[in-house]
Amino acid sequence: MSLKTHSRSKAIHVMLVYTGGCNGCDIEIVNSILSPKFDAEQYSVFLTWNPREADVLVVTGPVTNQNRQPLEDIYNAIPNPKLVVAAGACACMGGVYKNCYGDIQSEEIEGPVENIIPVDAKVPGCAVRPQDVLSGVVASLPKLLGAD
Amino acid sequence: MEEKKAKTQEIIETEIQMGTVHPAALEPYRVRFFVEDEIVKDAEVTIGVNHRGIERIMEGLPVEKANMLTEKICGICSNIHVWNSVRVAEIGLGVEIPDRALYLRIIVAELERLHSHFLFLAHGCEVLGHETFSMRVFYMRETIMELLHMIGGNRVQYGCSIIGGVRPRCDLDESKLIKITEGLDTTEKNLKEFADRFTRDTMLLSRVTGVGSIPQEQAIKLAVTGPSLRATGVKKDLRTEMFEYENFDFDIITQPDGDVKSNLLMRVLESFESIKILRQAIKNIPEGKVVDRSWEMVDTDIIKSYIEAPRGTLYHSYAIEDGRVRGSIVRTPSMANIGAMQYASIGSHITDAQLCIVQCDPCFTCSDRAVEVYDFDSHEKLDKSILQSNIL
Amino acid sequence: MSYLTIIYSILEVIILLLIALFVGVLIPGIERKYVHARIQQRIGPPVTSSGLWASIKFLYKENIKPNSPVPGLYKAMPILCFIVVFLVFLALIPFNYNFVLFSSLIAIVGFLKVEEIAYVLMGSLSKSVMSAGLRFPDHVKGAERLGTLTSYLEDISSNRSLRMIAFGSFPLYLALFIPAALSGSIFLGDIIQYQQLHGPFIFTLSGIIGTVVFFIGLMIMLNEYPFSIVKAKADVIDGPYMEFASKYRTYIYVTRGFMIFTLSCLYGVLFLGIAPGLLNLHFILNIIVALIFVLFMGVFSAFSPVFTNKQFYPVVLVSSVIGALAVILGLLI
Repeated sequence: MSLKTHSRSKAIHVMLVYTGGCNGCDIEIVNSILSPKFDAEQYSVFLTWNPREADVLVVTGPVTNQNRQPLEDIYNAIPNPKLVVAAGACACMGGVYKNCYGDIQSEEIEGPVENIIPVDAKVPGCAVRPQDVLSGVVASLPKLLGAD
Repeated sequence: MEEKKAKTQEIIETEIQMGTVHPAALEPYRVRFFVEDEIVKDAEVTIGVNHRGIERIMEGLPVEKANMLTEKICGICSNIHVWNSVRVAEIGLGVEIPDRALYLRIIVAELERLHSHFLFLAHGCEVLGHETFSMRVFYMRETIMELLHMIGGNRVQYGCSIIGGVRPRCDLDESKLIKITEGLDTTEKNLKEFADRFTRDTMLLSRVTGVGSIPQEQAIKLAVTGPSLRATGVKKDLRTEMFEYENFDFDIITQPDGDVKSNLLMRVLESFESIKILRQAIKNIPEGKVVDRSWEMVDTDIIKSYIEAPRGTLYHSYAIEDGRVRGSIVRTPSMANIGAMQYASIGSHITDAQLCIVQCDPCFTCSDRAVEVYDFDSHEKLDKSILQSNIL
Repeated sequence: MSYLTIIYSILEVIILLLIALFVGVLIPGIERKYVHARIQQRIGPPVTSSGLWASIKFLYKENIKPNSPVPGLYKAMPILCFIVVFLVFLALIPFNYNFVLFSSLIAIVGFLKVEEIAYVLMGSLSKSVMSAGLRFPDHVKGAERLGTLTSYLEDISSNRSLRMIAFGSFPLYLALFIPAALSGSIFLGDIIQYQQLHGPFIFTLSGIIGTVVFFIGLMIMLNEYPFSIVKAKADVIDGPYMEFASKYRTYIYVTRGFMIFTLSCLYGVLFLGIAPGLLNLHFILNIIVALIFVLFMGVFSAFSPVFTNKQFYPVVLVSSVIGALAVILGLLI
């Protein structure tokens, strides 16, 4: 394994962007990083709030209209190579909110996340389990490691 | 000719915008602080960032389906929304709930209150910059989350209540009750230790004492609800008025000052009360069936139901027509507390300003709904001037 | 001075620098794994992860243009910081004691001031996307005070660093002058000679007070956790470092560890009377001092919330006063 790959696998900075979900996924993810029980840091996954430092962007929620621009901005601020993990049913396919206005034209829900930024891994669940988020990040890692 | 008049103009040094993504906030919202020499002179919380319009989705859905949907309003207090939504239908249809179901609902609701309060404590400590305490509380919270997972089968959304009782899968047998008792014992022990350490930590106390204080009159004027109101000394808890809690003995906790310290201690002490209620519920839980399905769907007028959520008074109302929901309205407690958040952060240092918002235990995902504010007595529509800072 | 001595000295500096850098990048991991994680009852990250591998990883990231009015100056800042710390490090090497002006306390104070000013510049030049740069359909209907001057979060941290220059660095500088008061000289060579004759200052009363004050000053200088108001997560997220990406972030990681090592070398010179050297293996003692500092820093930061001005002023005031007392005590004896 080259130095590049090894160093990338040994320090993964995760940033969380919430785009209007129900709070369940956000707290489960922050939990998984923070709480001593799951302690993602032992797998060298660190939580950061600075997009310039991040490698992996975890997005939750069905991207409401007002959240679209911030999400794009933060995604663009992350230097390459980067990964996007969509966590939770809302982020994966819009959840219960997709098409919530039926036939009425509405711009309220822009999601799922795929519509706005490219997604590398999808973690299902309502709400996601902390273990699943970790496995989602790990499953998408080869793409990050193999990038230039 | 126009009258010439000198404009009274406040000069604000600068404006700091935080959000929608910010480490001190666990959810998307925008806050604008008007700052002068790092002291917040005025604050404006902008919500609506995660407005999804769940009432619109509920419109026209079958009542049972709509009840399940209310769970998605909030990921912290999901159960209380289902309970209240079910309660609306039960009041309207006149459904008798088996006693065992009532007790089960109370067990889940109080466990949820515990985890919500623990989340508040952990988040508060995190915003204070005290990582160790935050970890400690998250560790305690994990015990409660496991219990909820055991009861409901999911860590966040348990979907416990249905019209006529609770889901049979949420029924608790003897071994599960013992597990809950054990979990409560460890939680109580840990919480006592934490409270002890918290109240003796002078460095932490100097950060929280006197910060973001809300006077009692101001809190009443801004219609603050829940623990945030009780932290200012008002003895008001909707649980005392709810028939479900009739057989339970518990105290209403109040704190004197309404500052961050009062709010944090408020949650700790209230958690002990919740543990007390849970113990009583486990001890006295009656035998019998958990769900009564012998009700009939009829059309009803608009039914209202108020309930005490972990954050304050929660209101649900809808009418039933052909077994479908009409005109659903949800009012969440955080909605009422936004005024208090703005008020509390004024006059504090900008590092404390986020803390002042956190002290009201915000849940903006709950509270993103369209609102109109009316005066209670005169039924006049009020404008946003009631939220303005110079109210006193 | 022979040709060989110069060659030897340059080699010594290079090897010492490599040791310092290696220890420096391990320091965050040691702090995180063995202090914070242990106190918080969890396993914690691998020791090499948060310092060493993170620094290497950032080297392989895409180098993007920071969002700043003067990107060139902004990017130069971490390099400047590193050079300044390196100069302080050079001043501590015994070979350079011949250049009396360079290896004096005044010069060291001057270098450290440059480091502090760099924070002010970094803060004011960084315009991150996480604050006012976030495109948000803001100013909703009924928003108040439209058209107010909006500041970026980093502007606050720039203001704060300016204040830190004004008062925050007092404890460290006072602690630096305690040995000068004791030995009657501001030149490092003289201070070391004095201590070799009369025993290290740490065994005197002023020296003990000086150690405490030096430690507090060190934490303030490094913006370590309780004193991290310049980069408090609760409001300014990452402070002046917000916009650094790729290799510039590596420089920051490396500089922080290097600075801890350098300042503990400085402590060794001033209070223990040992200069960093390869032959006499004094650098091992320096590493031990650095690790002890890190240990205490970790414990201190794990048990305290972030200090706002309300807590910060008294701490600085008290430590400055006892520092000044120690200086006076040193002058009298």
